[in-house]
Amino acid sequence: MLPSHSFEDADPNWVPPEIDTSVAHSARVYDYWLGGKNNFPADRALAENILKVVPTMRTMARANRAFLSRAVRYLVKEAGIRQFLDIGTGIPSAGNTHEAAQETAPDSRVVYVDNDPIVLAHARALMTGLRAGETAFILADLRQPEAILAHPTLAARLDFTQPVAVMLVAILMFFRDAEDPYGIVSKLLDPLPPGSYLAISHPTADFNAQAMAGAVAAAEHSGITLVPRNRAEVEAFFAGLTLVEPGVVPVLAWQPDGEPPAEPESAYYYAGIGRKP
Amino acid sequence: MNALPGTKWQTVANQAAGRHDVTEVQPGAGPTVRRMLLGSQLRRLRIDKGLSREQAGEAIRASEWKIHRLENGQVGYKDRDIVDLLRLYAVTDPEEIAVFLVMAHEANLPSWWSHLSDILPQWFRAYVDLESSAMLIRAYEGQFVPGLLQTEEYMRAVMRGALLDDSQEELDRRVRLRLGRQQVLLDQTDAPRLWAVVDEAALRRPVGGRAVMRAQLERLIDATKLPRVTLQILPLGAGAHPAMVGSFSILRFPDEELPDVVYVEHLTSALYLNKHDDVDQYLHVMESICVRSRPPDATMEFLDKLLTDADTT
Repeated sequence: MLPSHSFEDADPNWVPPEIDTSVAHSARVYDYWLGGKNNFPADRALAENILKVVPTMRTMARANRAFLSRAVRYLVKEAGIRQFLDIGTGIPSAGNTHEAAQETAPDSRVVYVDNDPIVLAHARALMTGLRAGETAFILADLRQPEAILAHPTLAARLDFTQPVAVMLVAILMFFRDAEDPYGIVSKLLDPLPPGSYLAISHPTADFNAQAMAGAVAAAEHSGITLVPRNRAEVEAFFAGLTLVEPGVVPVLAWQPDGEPPAEPESAYYYAGIGRKP
Repeated sequence: MNALPGTKWQTVANQAAGRHDVTEVQPGAGPTVRRMLLGSQLRRLRIDKGLSREQAGEAIRASEWKIHRLENGQVGYKDRDIVDLLRLYAVTDPEEIAVFLVMAHEANLPSWWSHLSDILPQWFRAYVDLESSAMLIRAYEGQFVPGLLQTEEYMRAVMRGALLDDSQEELDRRVRLRLGRQQVLLDQTDAPRLWAVVDEAALRRPVGGRAVMRAQLERLIDATKLPRVTLQILPLGAGAHPAMVGSFSILRFPDEELPDVVYVEHLTSALYLNKHDDVDQYLHVMESICVRSRPPDATMEFLDKLLTDADTT
């Protein structure tokens, strides 16, 4: 019999999650590129293999991370959003969603979702907000949007009568079209009220087809699906939404903080934000 | 408590930045971490030159093993060694050489705990330095409440229980040292974050008797409210787990250059592990027990329950 005070109190059948650090995991590979130390040999091997074909991958990972911060600031300041659903949280790094949001609006609430127990343990331990109770964590998989939406933690923390921003930063590339990522995104947005937002960043082969093909091959070799998408395919995630200026653009060109970037296509990601009418 | 040595260090490091990209040391970094950084920078220069440790050893009339220890920060550098090595590595700018020499000197400055050094066993000194230079301390404790979260009475009971052949005065000094560590680590704004996993068994053992244990549990409840402390409890119900072999800590430093250091304490010595292979294994064990433990936001409730249990039994 399992203890009643188990990790997931809500689930009496909870068993301790097994972790496997012998295979590469995308969150830890990303951590390595960002200069983190929460990674293992398999993660470092894949990260280095991708660096061989995309030597500026570290800069691109930081560019993607910087988009997350700019997007959250836009959503808080310009769009008045105070509730975030951040799926594919990743290992905590500088400028996490709740930090970027609570910097401007301390009452912002963030629910983080990740399917990796290590990521979630780090998030729970290190991503505590300014005030208790305003960040929450769910162990769930974007493959089951219904399970995320039905999770009691979500209902307890987010008010679905008020707008919510769904953050899908560098996660949709793990889904082949056959897994219906477009359907998943639309299921997530369905219950949200008008005025809600969707933010996406997504790798693309549009700026350097050869390098991206090398990255895809390296990832697949380590058992990780990586599907780059072109501009039209990324725009299709925003079907039924109104795109915020400047639309789906290279991640470096999405509302840059300072001067417009000299080479916006030097980071192989698209980014965009859409508003539910 | 005196200010930690080394606040002027940053200026010197900044002057050198952009040449060999000398890593900035955080203010408060203790001598051990300075030595590690100095060592890692000299290692990088050597590798950039394509030289072996043996070749570097020849330049300073020392063995390959000595170079290994120098580059890992395990021993201090003499000025002459640094000058000779830098010449071998073709670093000739006097200003740049000066930066390395200052770094070596600062690594020899006394630590905040040096007035208590007579009660610190040699093998524990490096830990106290490393601990105060860390940005994150991850600790697993199977038997005790972690030292940084102990009340003074609990501390005294642990030390008496250890049956060390100490005079009252020595015991008082040990207590002062531990309280000093708490002050350095928990009270400063740039203090490291402590992420501790404590075995439920340690919390059920009434060290010092019921009153002392009760106050200790209350201290832990207060600690869960500190912004830089994360406490998880590994339930008895988790059964066998990968850390049953014993307590250990993993120290992480702000500099990307520096590897994590694993610290494992024994009765008369301690292990400091910083090779990837070792660190990876301990990190894996730490991740395994963190996902098996109750989440941090359930800790306070559980401690409350322990207090209630203690009252009714």
